[in-house]
Parts: sequence; C-alpha cells; structure tokens
Amino acid sequence: MKLSVLAEKLALKPVTEMFDKEISGVYISDMVSDVIANAKPGDLLVTVQIHNNVIAAANLVDIAGIVVTQGKLPSEDVRKMAEKAQIPIFSTDLSRWQVTTMLYEAGVR
Amino acid sequence: MASEAQTRYKMVNVRTGHVIMEHDVLSHAARSYFCDEPIPPREDYREGEHRWRYAGMAQSFQFDILDERTGVTVPLREMLGLVYYANAKPDSTLHRLGTVAHENGISVYAAVAYENPDGSVRVLDGEKVRLLNALFNDRLHTPGKKVLILPDLFDIYRTVSYGDIMIDFGLSSMEPDEV
Repeated sequence: MKLSVLAEKLALKPVTEMFDKEISGVYISDMVSDVIANAKPGDLLVTVQIHNNVIAAANLVDIAGIVVTQGKLPSEDVRKMAEKAQIPIFSTDLSRWQVTTMLYEAGVR
Repeated sequence: MASEAQTRYKMVNVRTGHVIMEHDVLSHAARSYFCDEPIPPREDYREGEHRWRYAGMAQSFQFDILDERTGVTVPLREMLGLVYYANAKPDSTLHRLGTVAHENGISVYAAVAYENPDGSVRVLDGEKVRLLNALFNDRLHTPGKKVLILPDLFDIYRTVSYGDIMIDFGLSSMEPDEV
C-alpha cells in the first residue's frame, strides 16, 4: 500500500514532504536499538519518539515512513534531516494502539 | 530489489542490555562497557590504580554477524554504536564528508568502539567494518540507496556526546518538546 493512500485512510498529517513509497509492513517501537535490530526495510515505523536518532536508525534500515503518535511534532532540524534522507514523517493525535488498529482495518498485515 | 531470503549476511545472537558509562575518580579517565545483567551495577569499584564510578546508562544491544555463505559468525562486542553524519558537529570532517556523500545517494555513519580497559580510545578493525557495511547494505530495498559505515578515523568519539550515538540514551523522557 502507498503511503499517500494510508495517510488518507488514517487522516495522518504529513509534516515533511510525502515521498510516496510503498510500505511492506509495520514496526512499532520507541527504541532506536530495537528499530536497528528488528525493523525491516519498507516498514512503516509507528513511534512516539521525535529524536534525531530515530531518523538515523530509520535511514539505516530503510524504513519507508514514520508515524509519530500522540500529537508529538518533530523539530525543524529533525524534519529537515528526514527530508534529506527521503523518509516522510506523519503526525497524528491517535495513540500507537489506535494507529495499529486502524492500520489493520485498512488492510495492512 | 533485495529480499530477506536473498541476503548473505545476517544479524544474529542479538543481546539486549545497557551501555554503562563510568569515570575514574582519580585520573578522570572515562569509559563505557556493555552489560546484559538485568539490573546493571551502579556501585564504585577498584581496578588496579583506578576507582571507577557510575556516570550513566543507556539501553542498547549487541549482535554478531553471520556470513551464511561461509557459515562464519563474527562477534561485534567492541562496537558501542553508530553516529549518523548529520548528528556530528556541522564543521566536523564526518559531517562535511557525509554531506557530500549524501548528495550522491550514500548515507555515512561512523562506528564508535568501546574504550580499552584503561579508558584509551579503540578503533574497530577493518574486517568488522567491512562486515557491518555488508550487513546493512544487504538489507536495503530502495534502489540506488547505499550506506557507508566508516571506522572512527575522525576522532568523533571525543567530540560527540552519548546522545549523538545511536543508542537509547536520554530517550525515555516523555516531557513535551519545544517545536
């Protein structure tokens, strides 16, 4: 599923350029080390973290996009870093659990 | 496009734990080490002429690299973590080199090693750096994307803080951030 389709279905707000990639899975984590060890290329990362090392880890493992939950917004520096790495960031007021449920209902398995 | 089934190199023997930072109260040397005990130690202890004192910790992990073609597993116990070029100081060699590389589709990281027992700096050996590059590039799906992991030839260890290294240091705070 394309990120643009997913963003529309879940009413995700893009906070960077979209870079409309195809996602092949989902990984939910707030830990950089966990993302490096366990996330897969093409995954959509669902997290509450907005630290610049989340972008560094997402870039290392070729994450397709990031959904930041609970209304958190990354700083301008983090947004620029993500755009340079062509990793789109979306924001939502929903919790990680609510996002997960909606991803499943949207057909992401 | 690569798939997981086609990859030659795999991350194996993943061990979760903590990076423990400590300093010598006598010589002011500082060092860190990986601890996989459920409750990491925080007590002062003596080691020869040194008296090491706990200075902080971060969640992290260690892993080995398996070459599935040869069946050889190489441990990476001495690697503390990676530093993304964009997290290095803007006037640093790593940042400048990484910026040029990024414009050519290459993401540069520096591999920082744990210190020697006396607190002196250690650099990851060339073969382990080669394997790290093989492991992470093997997993990439985006066409044209490339990762370049370099040993810490830039003395980045002396200029970055633990928060700049890709370990879970200071990430536990859920206080609102300034935007």
